[in-house]
Amino acid sequence: LSVAADPLTEALTGFAARINEDARLRQMISDWDRTVRCVATDSGRVAGLKVEASQVSVTGGGEAEDILLEAVEPLLVGMFSGEVSPTEPYMDGRLRVRGTQEDVLRLDFLSLMIWGE
Amino acid sequence: VTGPTEAAGAPRTLRVVSVSLGSSRRDHAVRVVRGGARFEVERRGVDGDLAAAEAAVRALDGRVDAIGLGGLDITLRVRDRVFTLSDGARLRDAASITPVVDGGGVKDTLERRAVEGLVAEGILGPGVEVLCVSALDRFGMAEALDGAGCAVVYGDLMFTAGIPYPIRSLDELAEMAHRILPQFAKLPISMLYPVGAAQERPPDPRFAPYYERAAVIAGDFHLIRRHLPDRLDGKTVLTNTTTAEDVRWLAERGCARLVTTTPVLEGRSFGANVIEAMAWAYAGGFGPGAAPAAEALSTVLDRLAIGPASRTLSLPEVS
Repeated sequence: LSVAADPLTEALTGFAARINEDARLRQMISDWDRTVRCVATDSGRVAGLKVEASQVSVTGGGEAEDILLEAVEPLLVGMFSGEVSPTEPYMDGRLRVRGTQEDVLRLDFLSLMIWGE
Repeated sequence: VTGPTEAAGAPRTLRVVSVSLGSSRRDHAVRVVRGGARFEVERRGVDGDLAAAEAAVRALDGRVDAIGLGGLDITLRVRDRVFTLSDGARLRDAASITPVVDGGGVKDTLERRAVEGLVAEGILGPGVEVLCVSALDRFGMAEALDGAGCAVVYGDLMFTAGIPYPIRSLDELAEMAHRILPQFAKLPISMLYPVGAAQERPPDPRFAPYYERAAVIAGDFHLIRRHLPDRLDGKTVLTNTTTAEDVRWLAERGCARLVTTTPVLEGRSFGANVIEAMAWAYAGGFGPGAAPAAEALSTVLDRLAIGPASRTLSLPEVS
Protein backbone atom coordinates (compact mmCIF):
# COMPACT_ATOMS: atom_id res chain seq x y z
CA LEU A 1 0.00 0.00 0.00
CA SER A 2 1.48 3.34 -0.97
CA VAL A 3 0.33 6.80 -0.07
CA ALA A 4 0.59 9.49 -2.72
CA ALA A 5 3.00 12.24 -1.76
CA ASP A 6 1.70 15.78 -1.47
CA PRO A 7 2.43 18.03 -4.48
CA LEU A 8 5.27 19.89 -2.78
CA THR A 9 7.08 16.74 -1.70
CA GLU A 10 6.51 15.27 -5.14
CA ALA A 11 8.03 18.34 -6.82
CA LEU A 12 11.02 18.31 -4.46
CA THR A 13 11.52 14.61 -5.11
CA GLY A 14 11.64 15.22 -8.85
CA PHE A 15 14.06 18.13 -8.38
CA ALA A 16 16.37 16.02 -6.21
CA ALA A 17 16.29 13.15 -8.68
CA ARG A 18 17.27 15.38 -11.59
CA ILE A 19 20.33 16.60 -9.73
CA ASN A 20 21.30 13.15 -8.48
CA GLU A 21 21.12 11.74 -12.01
CA ASP A 22 23.37 14.41 -13.50
CA ALA A 23 27.12 14.11 -12.89
CA ARG A 24 27.73 17.71 -13.88
CA LEU A 25 25.16 19.03 -11.40
CA ARG A 26 26.53 16.75 -8.69
CA GLN A 27 29.97 18.28 -9.24
CA MET A 28 28.42 21.73 -8.88
CA ILE A 29 27.21 20.86 -5.37
CA SER A 30 30.32 18.95 -4.32
CA ASP A 31 31.32 21.64 -1.80
CA TRP A 32 27.77 22.58 -0.84
CA ASP A 33 26.22 20.71 2.09
CA ARG A 34 23.06 22.62 2.88
CA THR A 35 19.50 22.30 4.10
CA VAL A 36 16.64 24.02 2.32
CA ARG A 37 13.30 24.52 4.05
CA CYS A 38 10.19 25.30 2.04
CA VAL A 39 7.17 26.77 3.81
CA ALA A 40 3.90 27.09 1.94
CA THR A 41 2.30 30.25 3.27
CA ASP A 42 -1.21 29.30 2.16
CA SER A 43 -1.48 25.63 3.13
CA GLY A 44 1.09 25.65 5.91
CA ARG A 45 2.80 22.65 4.35
CA VAL A 46 6.50 22.31 5.14
CA ALA A 47 9.08 20.21 3.31
CA GLY A 48 12.73 20.46 2.54
CA LEU A 49 15.87 19.35 0.79
CA LYS A 50 19.13 18.17 2.21
CA VAL A 51 22.28 18.43 0.14
CA GLU A 52 25.10 16.32 1.47
CA ALA A 53 28.13 14.72 -0.18
CA SER A 54 26.92 15.62 -3.69
CA GLN A 55 23.52 13.99 -3.16
CA VAL A 56 20.15 15.63 -2.67
CA SER A 57 17.38 14.09 -0.56
CA VAL A 58 13.91 15.22 0.44
CA THR A 59 13.15 15.93 4.08
CA GLY A 60 10.17 16.90 6.15
CA GLY A 61 11.64 20.35 6.54
CA GLY A 62 12.09 20.04 10.28
CA GLU A 63 15.81 20.71 10.40
CA ALA A 64 17.47 24.07 10.96
CA GLU A 65 17.77 25.52 7.49
CA ASP A 66 20.52 27.29 5.58
CA ILE A 67 18.01 28.54 3.02
CA LEU A 68 14.37 29.31 3.77
CA LEU A 69 11.87 29.66 0.94
CA GLU A 70 8.39 31.00 1.67
CA ALA A 71 5.63 31.31 -0.93
CA VAL A 72 2.19 29.99 -1.71
CA GLU A 73 2.25 26.26 -2.38
CA PRO A 74 1.45 26.39 -6.11
CA LEU A 75 4.43 28.69 -6.61
CA LEU A 76 6.79 26.44 -4.65
CA VAL A 77 5.51 23.41 -6.55
CA GLY A 78 5.89 25.27 -9.85
CA MET A 79 9.46 26.27 -9.03
CA PHE A 80 10.60 22.78 -8.13
CA SER A 81 8.83 21.17 -11.07
CA GLY A 82 10.25 23.58 -13.64
CA GLU A 83 7.01 25.36 -14.52
CA VAL A 84 8.03 28.65 -12.93
CA SER A 85 11.45 30.29 -12.79
CA PRO A 86 12.23 31.50 -9.27
CA THR A 87 13.85 34.72 -10.49
CA GLU A 88 10.74 36.82 -11.12
CA PRO A 89 8.82 35.72 -7.99
CA TYR A 90 11.97 36.51 -6.01
CA MET A 91 12.29 39.92 -7.61
CA ASP A 92 8.64 40.87 -7.15
CA GLY A 93 8.39 39.57 -3.58
CA ARG A 94 6.05 36.61 -4.15
CA LEU A 95 8.92 34.37 -3.11
CA ARG A 96 10.62 35.29 0.14
CA VAL A 97 14.10 33.91 0.56
CA ARG A 98 16.36 33.88 3.57
CA GLY A 99 19.94 32.71 3.17
CA THR A 100 23.28 33.96 1.99
CA GLN A 101 23.33 35.56 -1.44
CA GLU A 102 25.75 32.92 -2.68
CA ASP A 103 23.48 30.07 -1.54
CA VAL A 104 20.41 31.65 -3.09
CA LEU A 105 22.26 32.19 -6.34
CA ARG A 106 23.42 28.57 -6.42
CA LEU A 107 19.89 27.23 -5.87
CA ASP A 108 18.59 29.50 -8.63
CA PHE A 109 21.44 28.39 -10.86
CA LEU A 110 20.71 24.69 -10.30
CA SER A 111 17.06 25.11 -11.25
CA LEU A 112 18.04 27.00 -14.41
CA MET A 113 20.56 24.31 -15.32
CA ILE A 114 17.75 21.75 -15.10
CA TRP A 115 14.97 23.72 -16.72
CA GLY A 116 16.52 26.78 -18.36
CA GLU A 117 16.11 27.39 -22.08
CA VAL B 1 35.59 60.24 -38.96
CA THR B 2 37.27 63.60 -38.61
CA GLY B 3 36.71 64.41 -34.96
CA PRO B 4 34.88 67.31 -33.40
CA THR B 5 35.20 70.91 -34.62
CA GLU B 6 33.29 74.06 -33.90
CA ALA B 7 32.19 76.49 -36.58
CA ALA B 8 35.44 78.44 -36.28
CA GLY B 9 37.40 75.25 -36.84
CA ALA B 10 39.00 74.97 -33.41
CA PRO B 11 38.44 71.65 -31.72
CA ARG B 12 36.23 71.88 -28.66
CA THR B 13 36.76 69.90 -25.49
CA LEU B 14 34.74 66.72 -25.32
CA ARG B 15 33.38 65.83 -21.91
CA VAL B 16 33.03 62.20 -20.95
CA VAL B 17 31.84 60.94 -17.57
CA SER B 18 31.91 57.36 -16.37
CA VAL B 19 29.28 56.56 -13.76
CA SER B 20 30.52 53.50 -11.92
CA LEU B 21 28.88 51.21 -9.42
CA GLY B 22 32.33 50.76 -7.97
CA SER B 23 33.95 52.50 -5.06
CA SER B 24 34.13 56.30 -5.05
CA ARG B 25 37.66 55.85 -3.70
CA ARG B 26 38.76 55.25 -7.29
CA ASP B 27 37.31 58.54 -8.57
CA HIS B 28 39.55 60.69 -10.71
CA ALA B 29 39.49 63.18 -13.55
CA VAL B 30 42.02 63.74 -16.29
CA ARG B 31 42.46 65.85 -19.39
CA VAL B 32 43.89 64.12 -22.41
CA VAL B 33 44.47 64.94 -26.05
CA ARG B 34 43.79 62.16 -28.51
CA GLY B 35 43.18 62.20 -32.24
CA GLY B 36 43.47 65.97 -32.28
CA ALA B 37 40.66 66.32 -29.75
CA ARG B 38 40.76 67.46 -26.16
CA PHE B 39 38.93 65.28 -23.68
CA GLU B 40 37.90 65.86 -20.10
CA VAL B 41 37.40 62.41 -18.64
CA GLU B 42 35.91 61.90 -15.22
CA ARG B 43 34.95 58.84 -13.20
CA ARG B 44 32.25 59.00 -10.54
CA GLY B 45 31.80 55.97 -8.32
CA VAL B 46 28.51 55.54 -6.47
CA ASP B 47 29.62 52.79 -4.05
CA GLY B 48 27.16 50.23 -5.36
CA ASP B 49 24.10 52.46 -5.11
CA LEU B 50 22.08 51.84 -8.28
CA ALA B 51 19.59 54.63 -7.53
CA ALA B 52 22.47 57.08 -7.15
CA ALA B 53 23.89 55.88 -10.47
CA GLU B 54 20.53 56.42 -12.14
CA ALA B 55 20.29 59.93 -10.66
CA ALA B 56 23.82 60.70 -11.86
CA VAL B 57 23.05 59.57 -15.41
CA ARG B 58 19.85 61.62 -15.39
CA ALA B 59 21.72 64.69 -14.17
CA LEU B 60 24.44 64.31 -16.81
CA ASP B 61 22.03 63.72 -19.70
CA GLY B 62 22.41 66.51 -22.24
CA ARG B 63 25.30 68.07 -20.32
CA VAL B 64 28.16 65.87 -21.49
CA ASP B 65 29.14 64.28 -24.80
CA ALA B 66 28.93 60.66 -23.70
CA ILE B 67 28.34 58.67 -20.53
CA GLY B 68 30.05 55.39 -19.71
CA LEU B 69 28.68 52.83 -17.28
CA GLY B 70 31.23 51.11 -15.08
CA GLY B 71 30.69 48.03 -12.95
CA LEU B 72 27.81 46.70 -14.96
CA ASP B 73 26.94 45.87 -18.53
CA ILE B 74 23.90 46.84 -20.53
CA THR B 75 24.07 43.81 -22.78
CA LEU B 76 26.01 40.56 -22.95
CA ARG B 77 26.68 38.90 -26.29
CA VAL B 78 27.15 35.18 -26.34
CA ARG B 79 27.68 33.98 -29.89
CA ASP B 80 24.61 35.08 -31.86
CA ARG B 81 22.46 35.99 -28.88
CA VAL B 82 22.37 39.26 -26.97
CA PHE B 83 21.02 39.41 -23.42
CA THR B 84 19.95 42.74 -21.91
CA LEU B 85 20.63 43.18 -18.20
CA SER B 86 17.75 44.84 -16.35
CA ASP B 87 19.92 47.07 -14.18
CA GLY B 88 22.07 48.15 -17.13
CA ALA B 89 19.02 48.95 -19.25
CA ARG B 90 17.59 50.98 -16.37
CA LEU B 91 20.68 53.20 -16.30
CA ARG B 92 20.87 53.45 -20.10
CA ASP B 93 17.25 54.56 -20.24
CA ALA B 94 17.82 57.25 -17.61
CA ALA B 95 19.36 59.36 -20.39
CA SER B 96 17.38 60.44 -23.42
CA ILE B 97 19.88 62.79 -25.10
CA THR B 98 23.42 61.69 -24.31
CA PRO B 99 24.58 58.22 -25.42
CA VAL B 100 25.18 55.78 -22.57
CA VAL B 101 27.63 52.98 -23.30
CA ASP B 102 28.96 50.02 -21.33
CA GLY B 103 32.24 49.35 -23.12
CA GLY B 104 31.08 46.08 -24.66
CA GLY B 105 32.11 47.19 -28.15
CA VAL B 106 35.56 48.26 -26.99
CA LYS B 107 36.06 45.00 -25.12
CA ASP B 108 35.07 43.06 -28.22
CA THR B 109 37.60 45.06 -30.25
CA LEU B 110 40.61 45.74 -28.01
CA GLU B 111 40.59 42.49 -26.07
CA ARG B 112 40.81 40.55 -29.32
CA ARG B 113 43.78 42.76 -30.27
CA ALA B 114 45.39 42.17 -26.88
CA VAL B 115 45.11 38.42 -27.33
CA GLU B 116 46.55 38.70 -30.85
CA GLY B 117 49.48 40.68 -29.44
CA LEU B 118 50.23 38.04 -26.81
CA VAL B 119 50.04 35.34 -29.48
CA ALA B 120 52.55 37.29 -31.58
CA GLU B 121 54.87 37.47 -28.55
CA GLY B 122 54.56 33.73 -27.98
CA ILE B 123 52.95 34.16 -24.56
CA LEU B 124 49.64 32.75 -25.79
CA GLY B 125 49.30 29.88 -28.20
CA PRO B 126 48.17 26.29 -28.60
CA GLY B 127 48.03 24.46 -25.28
CA VAL B 128 48.96 27.47 -23.12
CA GLU B 129 46.91 27.28 -19.94
CA VAL B 130 44.73 30.34 -19.33
CA LEU B 131 42.37 31.12 -16.48
CA CYS B 132 39.69 33.44 -17.86
CA VAL B 133 37.92 34.43 -14.66
CA SER B 134 34.77 35.47 -16.48
CA ALA B 135 33.97 35.19 -20.15
CA LEU B 136 30.28 36.00 -20.35
CA ASP B 137 31.07 39.70 -19.95
CA ARG B 138 33.75 39.53 -22.66
CA PHE B 139 32.84 36.78 -25.08
CA GLY B 140 35.10 38.31 -27.73
CA MET B 141 38.14 37.66 -25.55
CA ALA B 142 36.96 34.11 -24.94
CA GLU B 143 36.58 33.56 -28.68
CA ALA B 144 40.05 34.97 -29.31
CA LEU B 145 41.64 32.73 -26.65
CA ASP B 146 39.80 29.73 -28.03
CA GLY B 147 40.83 30.67 -31.56
CA ALA B 148 44.47 30.80 -30.45
CA GLY B 149 44.21 27.21 -29.29
CA CYS B 150 44.75 28.00 -25.62
CA ALA B 151 43.66 25.54 -22.93
CA VAL B 152 41.21 27.84 -21.21
CA VAL B 153 39.39 27.43 -17.92
CA TYR B 154 36.40 29.77 -17.98
CA GLY B 155 35.75 30.67 -14.36
CA ASP B 156 32.31 32.23 -14.64
CA LEU B 157 30.63 29.85 -12.22
CA MET B 158 33.50 29.93 -9.75
CA PHE B 159 34.10 33.65 -9.76
CA THR B 160 30.53 34.93 -9.91
CA ALA B 161 28.60 32.26 -7.98
CA GLY B 162 31.28 30.39 -6.02
CA ILE B 163 30.37 27.13 -7.77
CA PRO B 164 33.42 24.84 -8.02
CA TYR B 165 32.92 23.96 -11.65
CA PRO B 166 35.56 24.98 -14.19
CA ILE B 167 34.15 25.32 -17.69
CA ARG B 168 36.66 23.99 -20.21
CA SER B 169 35.10 24.68 -23.59
CA LEU B 170 33.49 27.60 -25.34
CA ASP B 171 30.61 25.35 -26.38
CA GLU B 172 29.82 24.44 -22.78
CA LEU B 173 30.11 28.08 -21.75
CA ALA B 174 27.64 29.11 -24.45
CA GLU B 175 25.27 26.27 -23.60
CA MET B 176 25.18 27.31 -19.94
CA ALA B 177 24.84 30.96 -20.83
CA HIS B 178 21.83 30.28 -23.00
CA ARG B 179 20.23 28.38 -20.13
CA ILE B 180 20.84 30.84 -17.34
CA LEU B 181 21.23 34.33 -18.78
CA PRO B 182 17.59 34.91 -19.76
CA GLN B 183 16.77 34.76 -16.04
CA PHE B 184 20.03 35.93 -14.46
CA ALA B 185 19.88 39.09 -16.58
CA LYS B 186 16.90 40.14 -14.45
CA LEU B 187 18.77 39.86 -11.14
CA PRO B 188 20.31 42.85 -9.36
CA ILE B 189 23.86 43.29 -10.59
CA SER B 190 25.08 43.17 -6.98
CA MET B 191 24.18 39.46 -6.91
CA LEU B 192 26.44 38.71 -9.86
CA TYR B 193 29.37 41.11 -9.61
CA PRO B 194 31.22 42.80 -6.75
CA VAL B 195 30.08 46.41 -6.51
CA GLY B 196 30.85 49.16 -4.00
CA ALA B 197 32.56 47.95 -0.82
CA ALA B 198 32.49 44.35 -2.07
CA GLN B 199 35.28 45.35 -4.46
CA GLU B 200 37.60 46.05 -1.55
CA ARG B 201 37.16 42.90 0.53
CA PRO B 202 40.31 40.86 1.15
CA PRO B 203 40.76 38.17 -1.49
CA ASP B 204 39.45 34.67 -0.77
CA PRO B 205 42.01 32.32 -2.35
CA ARG B 206 39.74 29.25 -2.58
CA PHE B 207 40.38 28.85 -6.30
CA ALA B 208 44.17 29.25 -6.01
CA PRO B 209 44.97 25.96 -7.85
CA TYR B 210 43.41 27.37 -11.03
CA TYR B 211 45.64 30.46 -10.81
CA GLU B 212 48.67 28.26 -10.12
CA ARG B 213 48.15 26.08 -13.19
CA ALA B 214 47.61 28.97 -15.58
CA ALA B 215 50.36 30.89 -17.36
CA VAL B 216 47.97 33.74 -18.11
CA ILE B 217 45.16 35.09 -15.91
CA ALA B 218 42.60 36.98 -17.96
CA GLY B 219 39.41 38.92 -17.37
CA ASP B 220 37.84 41.52 -15.16
CA PHE B 221 40.24 42.78 -12.52
CA HIS B 222 37.70 42.91 -9.68
CA LEU B 223 37.00 39.22 -10.26
CA ILE B 224 40.71 38.38 -10.56
CA ARG B 225 41.24 40.19 -7.26
CA ARG B 226 38.26 38.47 -5.59
CA HIS B 227 40.12 35.15 -5.32
CA LEU B 228 43.71 36.32 -5.79
CA PRO B 229 46.24 33.92 -4.22
CA ASP B 230 49.40 35.00 -2.43
CA ARG B 231 51.70 34.26 -5.36
CA LEU B 232 51.49 34.84 -9.12
CA ASP B 233 55.13 34.23 -9.90
CA GLY B 234 56.03 34.64 -13.53
CA LYS B 235 52.45 34.95 -14.71
CA THR B 236 50.89 37.36 -17.17
CA VAL B 237 47.70 39.16 -16.21
CA LEU B 238 45.47 40.36 -19.05
CA THR B 239 42.79 42.63 -17.70
CA ASN B 240 40.94 45.90 -18.07
CA THR B 241 41.04 48.59 -15.42
CA THR B 242 43.83 48.84 -12.89
CA THR B 243 44.95 51.49 -10.44
CA ALA B 244 48.50 52.06 -9.20
CA GLU B 245 47.51 50.12 -6.07
CA ASP B 246 46.31 47.19 -8.19
CA VAL B 247 49.59 47.16 -10.09
CA ARG B 248 51.53 47.13 -6.84
CA TRP B 249 49.41 44.21 -5.58
CA LEU B 250 50.25 42.22 -8.68
CA ALA B 251 53.94 43.07 -8.52
CA GLU B 252 54.12 42.10 -4.84
CA ARG B 253 52.75 38.68 -5.78
CA GLY B 254 55.43 38.15 -8.40
CA CYS B 255 53.28 38.80 -11.47
CA ALA B 256 55.69 39.21 -14.39
CA ARG B 257 53.62 41.12 -16.89
CA LEU B 258 50.48 43.19 -16.94
CA VAL B 259 48.58 43.74 -20.16
CA THR B 260 45.68 46.16 -19.92
CA THR B 261 43.29 46.21 -22.80
CA THR B 262 42.95 49.96 -22.60
CA PRO B 263 45.83 52.43 -22.48
CA VAL B 264 47.33 53.97 -19.38
CA LEU B 265 46.30 57.61 -19.08
CA GLU B 266 47.72 59.68 -16.26
CA GLY B 267 49.04 56.59 -14.50
CA ARG B 268 46.02 54.31 -14.66
CA SER B 269 44.16 52.29 -17.23
CA PHE B 270 40.65 53.46 -17.89
CA GLY B 271 37.65 51.20 -18.12
CA ALA B 272 36.42 50.03 -21.50
CA ASN B 273 33.26 52.04 -20.89
CA VAL B 274 35.33 55.24 -20.66
CA ILE B 275 37.16 54.49 -23.88
CA GLU B 276 33.90 53.65 -25.65
CA ALA B 277 32.36 56.89 -24.38
CA MET B 278 35.39 58.80 -25.72
CA ALA B 279 34.93 57.10 -29.09
CA TRP B 280 31.25 57.99 -29.18
CA ALA B 281 31.99 61.59 -28.25
CA TYR B 282 34.75 61.83 -30.83
CA ALA B 283 32.71 60.36 -33.65
CA GLY B 284 29.64 62.37 -32.71
CA GLY B 285 27.75 59.11 -32.39
CA PHE B 286 27.63 56.04 -34.56
CA GLY B 287 24.13 56.41 -35.91
CA PRO B 288 21.09 54.44 -34.80
CA GLY B 289 21.40 51.31 -32.72
CA ALA B 290 22.73 50.47 -29.29
CA ALA B 291 26.29 49.78 -30.36
CA PRO B 292 28.53 50.87 -33.20
CA ALA B 293 29.58 48.43 -35.86
CA ALA B 294 32.90 46.85 -34.95
CA GLU B 295 34.63 48.29 -38.02
CA ALA B 296 33.47 51.84 -37.25
CA LEU B 297 34.56 51.58 -33.64
CA SER B 298 37.87 50.05 -34.63
CA THR B 299 38.52 52.96 -37.00
CA VAL B 300 37.81 55.53 -34.31
CA LEU B 301 40.00 53.74 -31.77
CA ASP B 302 42.82 53.82 -34.30
CA ARG B 303 42.30 57.54 -34.82
CA LEU B 304 42.47 58.04 -31.08
CA ALA B 305 45.61 55.87 -30.92
CA ILE B 306 43.96 53.73 -28.28
CA GLY B 307 45.05 50.16 -27.87
CA PRO B 308 46.24 47.63 -25.31
CA ALA B 309 49.18 48.49 -23.08
CA SER B 310 51.74 45.96 -21.88
CA ARG B 311 54.26 46.37 -19.10
CA THR B 312 56.76 44.21 -17.28
CA LEU B 313 56.30 44.31 -13.53
CA SER B 314 58.97 44.39 -10.88
CA LEU B 315 58.76 45.73 -7.36
CA PRO B 316 61.33 48.55 -7.63
CA GLU B 317 59.48 49.93 -10.63
CA VAL B 318 56.19 50.21 -8.83
CA SER B 319 57.33 51.16 -5.33
